[in-house]
Amino acid sequence: MSITVIIPTILRPLTNDQKRINMSGFKVSEVIDEMEQQFPGIKAKLIAGGAAHRFINIYVNDNDIRFCDGLATSLQDGDVLTILPAVAGG
Amino acid sequence: MNKPLNDCVIVGSLKNPAAHFAETAFSLLYQSSTLGMEIECNDHPATNAMLSFAFKTPYTTPVTCEVIGWDDSDQPAAFSENIMQAACGIMSVHGRANNKTQPLGLNYVSAVTAALALQGGVAAAIGQLRGLSISNSCVSMASAALLSETQYIADATAAESPELLVPGSIVYPTAPPFVSSDGVVFELETLSADPWLKFWTRLGVSSTLAGKGWTAFLLRYARAIAPIPNELVTAISNVTYQQISVLCSDTGMSICPVRKINERLDDEHFKYEWLKGPWTFDFKTDRNNVQAKPASNSLPLSGLRVVESCRRIQGPLAGHLLALLGAEVIRIEPPGGDPLRGMPPMSEGCSARFDAINRLKTVREIDIKSSSGQAEMTELIRYADVFLHNWAPNKAAQLNLDYCDLMDLNPALVYAYAAGWTTDESTFSPLNAIPGTDFMVQAYSGVAQKISETCGTQGGSLFTLLDVLGGVIAAQGITIALLNRCMNNAGAKVTSSLLSTATFLCADDFQNRHHFFDINATSRSILNGVYVTRQGKIAIECCDDKTMQRFIQTLGIVAESEPAELELRLGELFLLKTAEEWAAILQQVGVPAAVVIENLTDLHNNTRFRSRLTAGSYTKVSSPWSFQ
Repeated sequence: MSITVIIPTILRPLTNDQKRINMSGFKVSEVIDEMEQQFPGIKAKLIAGGAAHRFINIYVNDNDIRFCDGLATSLQDGDVLTILPAVAGG
Repeated sequence: MNKPLNDCVIVGSLKNPAAHFAETAFSLLYQSSTLGMEIECNDHPATNAMLSFAFKTPYTTPVTCEVIGWDDSDQPAAFSENIMQAACGIMSVHGRANNKTQPLGLNYVSAVTAALALQGGVAAAIGQLRGLSISNSCVSMASAALLSETQYIADATAAESPELLVPGSIVYPTAPPFVSSDGVVFELETLSADPWLKFWTRLGVSSTLAGKGWTAFLLRYARAIAPIPNELVTAISNVTYQQISVLCSDTGMSICPVRKINERLDDEHFKYEWLKGPWTFDFKTDRNNVQAKPASNSLPLSGLRVVESCRRIQGPLAGHLLALLGAEVIRIEPPGGDPLRGMPPMSEGCSARFDAINRLKTVREIDIKSSSGQAEMTELIRYADVFLHNWAPNKAAQLNLDYCDLMDLNPALVYAYAAGWTTDESTFSPLNAIPGTDFMVQAYSGVAQKISETCGTQGGSLFTLLDVLGGVIAAQGITIALLNRCMNNAGAKVTSSLLSTATFLCADDFQNRHHFFDINATSRSILNGVYVTRQGKIAIECCDDKTMQRFIQTLGIVAESEPAELELRLGELFLLKTAEEWAAILQQVGVPAAVVIENLTDLHNNTRFRSRLTAGSYTKVSSPWSFQ
């Protein structure tokens, strides 16, 4: 499965300043594991205790993975995985 | 009640101001009264250009405080509350959710201006007591309005993927509040996705749609739009308010009906809260020999240290204002930094909207939940002049960082809490069980209903107006406590909240009902509207008969007997010229008029704002004060 990952600016220092990276995996967690192999340290910025950080939103295409199967959300070839930092409340 | 400025006096023509300063003058009278100040209203004739008052303390020379409309005296032009809302972009941000550029229906800019004006006077007095020779403080209504838009202007002008949200350019689906099957209008709130998912799933909404709704709901604070899918709005409209309340209780969601302002005025403790003002001051009774530190530069709070542990808008904006007054602000962030640093749009590696209100601070990353982190915090606060936080209720006590934990360690400390609901922590409040966020407080306080009456909508504004004014009020309370410390050698705790801010914002409603002061709180404008022209929109406000006469004569129309006929005629007439042409014509004869700013990027091209906006990786709003 070829997956495009959109990296937010705040994490680009970890991805050699790349905005879009191509990864592979059948689930979101597998993509993140592969990202960690290529860009050590990025996994800890995204997940803790088996779930995405409260302030990190991960979308598969337009769908927030919290409303699918979380990190176990399955992926299709060509899917776009977008990482968006955002905090609820004002 | 603790009245921190009992020994101080405010002197000015506050009871007979020009019509466009009426709301600002009322707010100044109200604040002065709640702070225990003696009010001397003189009979000096009001001027159109300026509202002036003197702030006096027993220990300083009087500070002359000036409130003006625009900053640029080269371009004098008539102004008013709604002209400022139009010209400075507030109507644009407020109008995003309703797809219509329109006024808030609140004397918002006037309230912000009044709070900043009094704070400027108090800060100048602190400066004098610390060796500066400041005798004059000036604030413009335009600078107050731009300050309110700081984060939105940053978003719109960010270097990387700026937010281009202009009313009318995109039709957004319905925003909250929601309406139940029995007609109750209400807000929902949660700060995490789990309750949201459970709630909507129980209403039969698919998780995919609930997720799309969550994204809109999550980002509404930043974007001032909330494109909730219609399926969610329909699902909730099929259930009674009582059933929804039960469902909220079951799933961890919070709910608050949009209450009428009269319901709020009838609340049991409302009169007490109104009389008290937006702050609760708790002064240390044993006085200490607090040596006033000398100022380190020309700004009145320079040389003072503020430690800030705040998230989101209200608290950080308060810290930002103290930094603009010269204070050194040390911002405590969790290890790894505040997550909001990464929230797009970005400029030079940081969220533009985050940087807009945190750019002047030094950052220390501390895990405040750990004992070593709490020890580190304690050491920082030991040598600070101010500690400011906006944690959830009771969290300070859990962290051993409550006022009682710190007051003996640093007797001169000003301990500030920028809360959501209550300013009286000693009394149990059921409201503390629900998130005290901007939109919930708008709903509870009557602010949302006031906005809806003006705008023809169901609820409040997605412009975070209480967070912003709440930040101003928190900073003002801290400044007042610092002056009290200078005068009486006593530290203090000062608490303000979004709810107390809403009471402050609607202070005129209670005045109009009970007439505590011998003045009219507000005067309703004779004409107040936004009109489509051949190019762009124009806002016009005629606050009195004379202005209305000039307006009618200039346009060469007959004063229609029916307002609807007049509106129809005006609608036709304004299509004949551009907004800029009409603004020039009307300003020439002293009628408050301005081209409505719909795209916030237009602000920094406007020469009128050149002294208040600084271009760069995003457009920064400068300090609203100037001191001499």
